[in-house]
Amino acid sequence: MRVTLTVRPREKPFLPIEAETIVPRNFLDGTDTTVWRGNRELPLDAVFSVSVEGNAETAAEVEVVMRGDTALIKRVGEYMDAGRIVVEGDIGMHCGNFMSGGTIEIGGNADGWLGREMRGGSIICRGDAADYCASGYRGDKKGMTGGVVEVFGSVGDFAAEHLAGGTVIVHGSAGDMAGAEMHGGTLIIYGDCTRPCANMTGGTAFVHGTAYDMLPTFRRVGTIRREGRTFIQFTGDIANRGKGNLFVGDCRYMD
Amino acid sequence: MSELLIRNACVIDPINGIDGETMDIAIRDGRIVEDVNDSTAEVVDAGGALTLPGGIDSHTHICGTKVNFGRYMSPEDMRAGRTPRMGRMHATSGYSVPTTYGTSYRYSAMGYTTLLEGAMAPLEARHTHEEFLYTPLQDTLANTLFDGNWAVMEAVRDGDTKRVAAIIGWTLSAVKGFAVKLTNPGGTEAWGWGKNVSCIRDPVPYFEVTPAEMIQTIVRANELLHLPHSVHLHCNNLGTPGNYSCTIGSLGLIPDLNDRRQTLYATHVQFHAYGGSGWDDFCSRSEPIARFVNMRPQIVIDMGQVMFGKTTTMTADGPMEFNLYRLHHNKWSNHDVELETASGIIPVLYRRKNLVNSVMWAIGLELALLTENPWQCLLTTDNPNGAPFVRYPEIIGLLMSKRYRDAEFATVHPETGHRVPLPAIEREMDWHEIAVMTRSGQAKALGVLEIGKGHLGVGAEADVAIYPIRIDEVDPSVEYQKVVDAFRCTDYTIKRGRIVSRRGECLVDGNNTTVWVRPKISDSYDMVRDEEFVRKFDRYYTVRMSNYPVQEEYLRRNLWRRNLCIETEAEL
Amino acid sequence: MIVKDVVCPFCGCLCDDVEVTVEDDRVVAVDNACTLGTSKFLGDHRLPGPIRRDGNGWKDISYDEAIRYAVDMLLDAERPLLYGWSSTHGEAQCVGVHMAELVRGVIDNTTSVCHGPSILAIQEVGHPGCTLGVVKNRADLIIYWGCNPIDAHPRHLSRYTRYADGFFLENAFRDRTVIVVDVRKTETANIADEFVQIRPGGDYAVLSALRAIVRGKTDTIPRSVSGVPREQLLRIARRCKEAKFGAFYFGQGITMTRGKYKNVRNAIELVDELNRHTKFTISAMRGHYNVYGSNEVNTWMTGYPFGIDFARGIAFYNPGETTAIDVLARRECDACLIVASDPAAHFPRPCVEHLAEIPVVQIDPYANATTAFCNVQIPVAVTGIDAAGTAYRMDGVPLRIRKVIESGYPSDEEILSRMYAMIQEVRSE
Repeated sequence: MRVTLTVRPREKPFLPIEAETIVPRNFLDGTDTTVWRGNRELPLDAVFSVSVEGNAETAAEVEVVMRGDTALIKRVGEYMDAGRIVVEGDIGMHCGNFMSGGTIEIGGNADGWLGREMRGGSIICRGDAADYCASGYRGDKKGMTGGVVEVFGSVGDFAAEHLAGGTVIVHGSAGDMAGAEMHGGTLIIYGDCTRPCANMTGGTAFVHGTAYDMLPTFRRVGTIRREGRTFIQFTGDIANRGKGNLFVGDCRYMD
Repeated sequence: MSELLIRNACVIDPINGIDGETMDIAIRDGRIVEDVNDSTAEVVDAGGALTLPGGIDSHTHICGTKVNFGRYMSPEDMRAGRTPRMGRMHATSGYSVPTTYGTSYRYSAMGYTTLLEGAMAPLEARHTHEEFLYTPLQDTLANTLFDGNWAVMEAVRDGDTKRVAAIIGWTLSAVKGFAVKLTNPGGTEAWGWGKNVSCIRDPVPYFEVTPAEMIQTIVRANELLHLPHSVHLHCNNLGTPGNYSCTIGSLGLIPDLNDRRQTLYATHVQFHAYGGSGWDDFCSRSEPIARFVNMRPQIVIDMGQVMFGKTTTMTADGPMEFNLYRLHHNKWSNHDVELETASGIIPVLYRRKNLVNSVMWAIGLELALLTENPWQCLLTTDNPNGAPFVRYPEIIGLLMSKRYRDAEFATVHPETGHRVPLPAIEREMDWHEIAVMTRSGQAKALGVLEIGKGHLGVGAEADVAIYPIRIDEVDPSVEYQKVVDAFRCTDYTIKRGRIVSRRGECLVDGNNTTVWVRPKISDSYDMVRDEEFVRKFDRYYTVRMSNYPVQEEYLRRNLWRRNLCIETEAEL
Repeated sequence: MIVKDVVCPFCGCLCDDVEVTVEDDRVVAVDNACTLGTSKFLGDHRLPGPIRRDGNGWKDISYDEAIRYAVDMLLDAERPLLYGWSSTHGEAQCVGVHMAELVRGVIDNTTSVCHGPSILAIQEVGHPGCTLGVVKNRADLIIYWGCNPIDAHPRHLSRYTRYADGFFLENAFRDRTVIVVDVRKTETANIADEFVQIRPGGDYAVLSALRAIVRGKTDTIPRSVSGVPREQLLRIARRCKEAKFGAFYFGQGITMTRGKYKNVRNAIELVDELNRHTKFTISAMRGHYNVYGSNEVNTWMTGYPFGIDFARGIAFYNPGETTAIDVLARRECDACLIVASDPAAHFPRPCVEHLAEIPVVQIDPYANATTAFCNVQIPVAVTGIDAAGTAYRMDGVPLRIRKVIESGYPSDEEILSRMYAMIQEVRSE
């Protein structure tokens, strides 16, 4: 079954829409659901023109396609457990929160908190992702615990903060403090970043480019070869009892 | 004039010797009366359901600086229990430390109408009173902390019991407190230097008094002031293996000085009933403590039951919280209060698969079951330290059913059986005993029977809880789940004659009273006229003495809010 | 008439020993307060009455009309923002929270532009703190990191630290060590025993290095970290460990610079580590006199200290999304009520531009930068001068702020309560 949601023009286009109901499983029961615009609850078809093709027995057979100006639509795919969501353009904050299965593909950019506290499944973002990509929630120790987030562009600050499991792959560069507080899982950044893995206690991170403003509290262990490249290996963060592994192509300190 | 008639109530009212009698309760203008006009009074048909005086929690942390910091530092706990605004109910957040509305609504749904905040630092009392205003469905009282009070310690050192009484009396009146609380006496001052006292004979740095001297003197001072409640003690050395001997030593200091109530209320004794010399041989020592309490009518304790799951620990016992932090490595907050006390907060997860946690769970139940007289061991979790108060119904079920205890015991750490006497205890509490342990015992221990709390006799405040269960139809020993469900949510909670909560939905926006004490003290013992006291206050506090007392504005009155001052005649 | 022990409604120090001389319901002299406090007490040029924008000018309107306008604006809005709150009393803040809940708006206070990051850090690792008097009576080591109290909290040094004698410190100036850490040599640095100069953006690395040193891991530390020589780092760590009682105060030099809340978290974790060796506490130098009260009120009523979104009926909290700057910069809100703050003077330009496009009502005694963006402004009494109420000091100590003169202006609480009552009436229909 394919559900296509095309955003209708909105009178106040900057009012955010919260649409945690846009999850494949929910469409097994039809499209009679609601979303919120600010503090008003609206039927789904007040915000989207909705078309449905085919049938599905299980959520895994449902594909949701989102078209039009989706950049301010928040919480799409929250608690998603199966099926597929394809966003042709940009997507708003909190896409794929707590997701445990299925796939979300974003053609454009993703706003903050993409895949926050994700448990499983996969998210692919063809553009850039903003701050807190694959991170945790305020005050909680555990961020993402499973699944894969892959961003083909760059990510903002605090990507993979509190990472506890799963894999985060950034093909471009990361902002400041990627992998801060991480204690499990794997973070791979193909570009550059600043201050990676601050206060990490576990897990593994690779920075293929240069880590700028590298923190002085990582202990240099040696070098390794991986995927035909040489990485400098560090353990840390020794500001705590950290036993994380950080591999960087190159690094610069602020001395 | 408003009248309410509750028909067909199956009443248990231990104070008045009523044990399961089906009767009507007549209420006029908030008080229980002989009868009302049947034709005009509002009628509630209880249909034979269990009807008790409103629940009273004699030790809970619900309002004030420390509690609010528990919320402030825990957005992950806040999101764990959110409800939207509905009808007369405001939005709520939080599981282990709910917002004030969350606390009030959830307690009200469980039939609770009176709550004693367990620890209020005098300097920050205004904060507690502000939150009391937003706890709309319960009467509130505040234990006031004196464990590290410099002026008190100096007077104890000088052996001047009357001066101790005078300082306590002035402070309670100034901050609108209800009772004297000692949390790890002396230890909170030592914590000012990052140290602690290990038990009652360790001297407090600089002040050169021991916790034992403080406890003994303050207990006598409390009686000189004729306060309704006794001294409320959180013993030294909380939470460490082998601390039961310190607890027994502390209880052994207490003479029997009062014929209306106990002379000492020892709180959350579960945390103080540990044997062993370390975590490896950690075990229960509930038996010697219960035996000790059974022989001493001057002691009342509360359980401090631990239930498995997430919660937040918070106490004025700053050094203990730091030790907990070193064990758990989770977030830690601390807040020392100048010249008075300390406090600490950390989140914890009590796990069934953890041996120490399993032993702790057993100890609380053992204390209740081994204390022969239910008036001497009251039901608490030291909310939220052992568990959030919403777990009380399960504890009631466990106390009433050996079968339930055995079923739970089968799920805890397998080695627990070697370390606790619980499996061998056959006792199953009856409805009457539960009523004592959740309301009437509290009213007697707090000394609030006189203001009409904890019973349903004529003249009492009409605080009533009607639970959806018929005691003649349910065998709690077997059908414990029905008991748990019934205590989770009343059919009706009635507060001063008004229905405040109906099947969990709170119906009114406010109906509460702040209860505080004012001992009448002669001019020669009035601390405001004491030059040395005033001089030191001005020099060492960072707040002017004139700005210290909690103003009457914080006890705002309106149609449904009262301010009830209990005046006592101090022997000073 | 002289009123003694007046509480100063300027900064988070909440000094309560001010003497105010009043003549004919005017403050004519102020003693004991710093220049900042004094100028607030002597402030003049109040807006005489409510005003409404009328073309390019202003029209005087009645309080009733102004309140009606504000109520209609909030009821119509799909995403109203209720911002400010830090310079008013707690009782008014409480009404504000109830109102935000009922109109399903976003309520935020000035925390989000000053110590919001400190709160985020505390939410990750907690906060080992104490009241100011504990520091005054015990602390033999004071660290001011990224703050300049001589400018921003002038009496902090004389009441609580450098110049304040305490119970265990007979001669504070001699017995206390003061260390100042900053990116430039401030006035406070001039009165310090030791000054540590860090390269801008380098605070986090220096804090990490200090933590490692306190843990005994000195060998990994390079010769210099963000401009601070290794020897100095070792000396600072030693001084901290040898102190009997250390107190760490920090300001916007770390909360609003690169790394933000991670800087604060690192500082807190340094203090945690030091507590294994001695007694150490850490506290934020809060700015507005009652910003901490606003955090407290929000917390007991909603569970969260700032940045609360009631759009869905429940309280949702996510700074970076539900905070005023973000809501405005993303142009999410469609109406704004501003109480006791001046966002147009402090917010980034895109935020202010959005304020110009939506209806805005401001409740404030004075015409200020935000006035230019308002549709309606409602003048009120100044808490601490002509209105009384509760405020929380930077260390959490609550005080009752006094009213020293009668001005005839309504208080924030009165205006907000009237608004709330009207909104309740509409919503209950």
